Parts: sequence; structure tokens; C-alpha cells
Amino acid sequence: MLKITPFKTGLLLSSFFITALLVCAISALFMVPSLEDVMANIWNEEMQFSLKLTLITGVISTILVMGFALPIGYTLSRLDFWGKGVVKTIVNLPVAFPELVLGLCLLLLFGKTPIGKALSAIGLDFVFTRKGVVAAQFFTALPYAIRIMKSTFDYINPRMEFVSRSLGYTQFETFIKVSLPLAGNGILAATVIAFARCIGTFGTVLILAGGSYMKTETLPITLYLNISYGNMGMALTSGIMLVVVSFVAIFIFEKTEAKL
Amino acid sequence: MSFFRVEDMHINLGEFSLKGVSLEFERGEYLTVMGPTGAGKTILLECIIGFYHPEKGRVFLEGRDITDDPPEKRRIGIVYQDYALLPHMDVFKNIEYGLKKTDSNKESRRTKILDMAESLNISHILHRKPTTLSGGEQQRVALSRALVVDPRLLLMDEPLSALDPQTRHTTRALLRQAMRNRDITVLHITHDMDDVWALADKVAIMRDGRIEQHNTLQCVFNRPCNQFIADFVGATVFEGTVLPSSNGHCLIDIEGLVLSSTDHAQHGENIKVALRPENIMVFQQRPDNHSVQNIVEATLEDYYKEGILYHLFFRSGEVRIPAVVTSSAFHELNLERNRSSFLSVNPTNVRIT
Repeated sequence: MLKITPFKTGLLLSSFFITALLVCAISALFMVPSLEDVMANIWNEEMQFSLKLTLITGVISTILVMGFALPIGYTLSRLDFWGKGVVKTIVNLPVAFPELVLGLCLLLLFGKTPIGKALSAIGLDFVFTRKGVVAAQFFTALPYAIRIMKSTFDYINPRMEFVSRSLGYTQFETFIKVSLPLAGNGILAATVIAFARCIGTFGTVLILAGGSYMKTETLPITLYLNISYGNMGMALTSGIMLVVVSFVAIFIFEKTEAKL
Repeated sequence: MSFFRVEDMHINLGEFSLKGVSLEFERGEYLTVMGPTGAGKTILLECIIGFYHPEKGRVFLEGRDITDDPPEKRRIGIVYQDYALLPHMDVFKNIEYGLKKTDSNKESRRTKILDMAESLNISHILHRKPTTLSGGEQQRVALSRALVVDPRLLLMDEPLSALDPQTRHTTRALLRQAMRNRDITVLHITHDMDDVWALADKVAIMRDGRIEQHNTLQCVFNRPCNQFIADFVGATVFEGTVLPSSNGHCLIDIEGLVLSSTDHAQHGENIKVALRPENIMVFQQRPDNHSVQNIVEATLEDYYKEGILYHLFFRSGEVRIPAVVTSSAFHELNLERNRSSFLSVNPTNVRIT
């Protein structure tokens, strides 16, 4: 039996207090609106648009995020090169940035600079477009995924890769046959976190993509627009949708993680 | 030209470095590399296999310069202390992993794996995941995986040190048998003298990124070239002067203690003499047998027990002489601190280094 000391009591109380507060906050979201209102709002044209756009852009952004997070995470974990510290700091910087500032930076980059103009010339126009939603989500979620992938590769014994090389496999073959399978749980965790960050991105999407009604309107934008109009029903429903999508993502993660 | 040669290898990885390592050995030889922690032993292995590129120096295998070859082209196997088995594959697939690169025939691969598994006594665990195996089993799997691809050279980094004494003993015997059957060339890093005695043809001693001595087992253990190596291999080095001699033996004066040696040196030369404690014989009375030479009266200063052996430290004048006797001999000789005994050492065991 656990002996209760004042120190342990303090630890347990702080944990239970915050957990209870969070449960109350999330429950409030589900308790306040009536089920009929929520069901009616879900089938609303704006909500359908927003949900669809959120899921589509969220999936595309997550795929792109993982496509970059894997090689960058592996590079930061395994390779020593000049300027590694700077690269690490810069790619992690958006974690500490307010989303609005990140959105502003991206708006300036894709709007006014030669890079933005060059991208626009080949059809990659990010300012106030749906592509902008993807770009905003991508840059917001990428550092989180990189951090998880770097830690994941840090935990894989590099000697397994050395042995693979000694047995005739190239560095790339070793990455595919040893590093990636062993990073399975980390990849899954990074994907879920990246997806949750993507669908929940608000400030960056608002500034870069504009948050226009039924054009670049993702669920967080729906929540924001409707709360501005005073339409609490729609705002609460979009909040519920975000929580449900995140919950489903975490649930799938837990189930899949157990199998890996 | 030697089968394997490292020439003047330099690398600096911050914490560990190599400062001009050179060594060579022949096909089929078993070289053990010893040295204190941080001496650069593992870095040496990883430079040889190609995980690190030396800043200076070359590596030759079978007469060819392989310094710039990637690890996958070198056909050098490696076995680590922590086994480095792939946890997402079962034992069979771990052993098959390297074989897939050299043998495209599935049935032939299977035959090779089953033969290897039988020789290393792991046939019963082929279907199991590495995480479910004991340390000894994992080490045998790691060894099978390295040997089954028939490497030109096998590198082992303290392969037995993580095992309990009993498993270490049986795995060492299995390792000796596996190496003897295959006539394989091995470079084995170890801290354990038992590994060296049981397996090695040659020994290299490393310190601070350099090879201090590299020679046959007998030479390094009996003629350590300096006090560091002497301490490392459990010998003692004395400084002495060669005296005039009439019987063909070399007489050496070590701070007043005169010993006869079958080695040769010039009269008046200042030399170093190595003695191994197990070559010092201890007597209660002065031996009257004429065949016993180099008899010295000495006082037991100190001793300690290690396993079934007693490590003794005698003093004769200014010279401190270590010796070792079994537990039963210690009691039979009635040894006690500050009591006089007689020591003797055969002139063939008084080695000029």
C-alpha cells in the first residue's frame, strides 16, 4: 500500500486538480448546446464546407509535414555538420513563435519577396488561398513533428545501423530497412500530433489564408467567425467537431501504437 | 604484405581520438586489443569498418587500400557488446539479413542459417524475437549474423563483457570452437585477461589513442615494454644494470638484488627486466636443490585474496617483488606478514624487455 506523505499528497492534488478542470472545460463544450442544435449545425452548409476543408488540408499538410520531418529529424539526430546548431534552432523557432507572427512572416515571404513572386509564377499562390491554408498548417506543425522524429531517432541505437551497413546495406537501404521500422511509434506519434496541430491551426491560417467565409474557412476559423457574429451554436459545434476529430486521431494512435 | 594493416591512423572525435595507430596481422590470426576506458579502442574498430573516416592514415585489407570504401563494400563483420540485434525481426530474419545481400537463393540461405544455428546452439530459438532472449543467446545470434556472411575480417567490441560469469565461460568456449572451425581473422576488444588467454594469438595494448605494444601473447605478457603495459598485463618491470658473467647467463643487478637471466645484454648496460608473479616460487626454507636458481630471501609485506589465489608482496632490500600462490599453498607455506620466506625464479623467466 502506498504510504501517503504530504509531498505525495501535494503531487496527487495538483494532478487531480488540473485533470478535473480540463474534464469540466471539455464537458462544458458538450453540455452547453442541445443535441438537436449540434446535429442541425453539423449539416449546415458552412459547417460541411469547413469540416471538409479542414480534413482535406489537414491530411495534405500532415503528409507534407511528415515528408520533411522524417529526413530533417534523421539529419539532426545522426549527422554532424557545420551549422547544425543554427539549423536546429531555426526549424524549432516556430514552436516559440505566436501563430499570428508566423502567419505574418509567411504572408510577407509569399507576398512581397522574390521567392513569393517566383512561387506565384509557377502557380503556387499562397496568399488568401486554400494552398495558403496548407502552407500555414505545414509551417505551424512541422517543428513539433521534427522534434518528435529527432527524439525517436536519438533513441534508436546507431549500432544497429552500423551493423546493417557492415552486412552490405547502403546508408539509404539501412534507413528504409532498419531506422524507419524501428521509428514506427515515433512516426505515428509525430503524424497524430502534426495532424492535430494542422487542423487546430488558427492564427497562421487567419493571417496567410485570410479566413474568408466558405473559401479558406477551416474549423477554427468557423469557430472564430461565428463567435464574432454571436452565433454560439455554430461556434460550439465547430469546437465539438475539433475535439471529436482530435479524439478520434488520438484513439487510432493508441490502438495502432499497441500493435507496433 | 600483411593480410590486414592499419597505417598511422589519426582521428579526433572530441572525447575520443586516435593519434597515429599502426598495426598489422596475418590471415587467420586472432588479435585482442586491450586498454583502459577511453583509450580509443572502439573508435579504432569503427574506423577500420568505415563508420568513421580517419583524418590521416590508411587501412589495407588483403593488400588493397580500403580507406575510402563505404562499410557495405568492405566485407568486415562486427559484433558489439550490446548485440545490436534488430528488434523488429525474429532470430532467423536477423541472421538472414546480411545473407540476403550475398545469396539470392532462399533455400541455400535457409541451409546456411540452420547450419550456423546448430554450430552456435541456437536452433531452438530461431523463431523468437531478440527481446525475449537471454544475454548469452543474443550474443550467439549476433555472432551467427556476423559469421554467416563469411566476413574477411571479424571485429568484436567486448562481445562477452555483458554476460554473467557462467554464460561468459560457455560462450567463450563456443567462440573459440567457432573461430577454430572457420579459420577466421579476428580483432577482438576486451578488458578480460581470460579472453586473451583463451582466444588470442597476438595482443595490442592501447593507451590515449596510441598502440603501446603489439606483439604475440607470450611477448607482451612476458616482456612488457613499459610499466603501463606491465601493470596492465599483471607483470612487474625493474630497472637494472648488467654485471660481468662467466657461465653464459646474464647477471643483472636490481638495486642490490642480483638475478640471473638466460636473455642476453652487454656488460654495464642499463636494462629493464620483467617478472611475472606466477613465475615466482615461494619456499618456507632455503631450497637445497641445485637446480633452483635465483634464490632470494624476502619478507612478506602484504597480501590479499582474490578467488582461489593469494596475491603476495615481498620485499628484499629496496626491491618489492609480487608473487601469486594458490589458497592451499598459502596455508601450507604458513605465510604471515613480516615473516621471511625464500623466493626463486627460473632464469628463463627473468625477461629483459
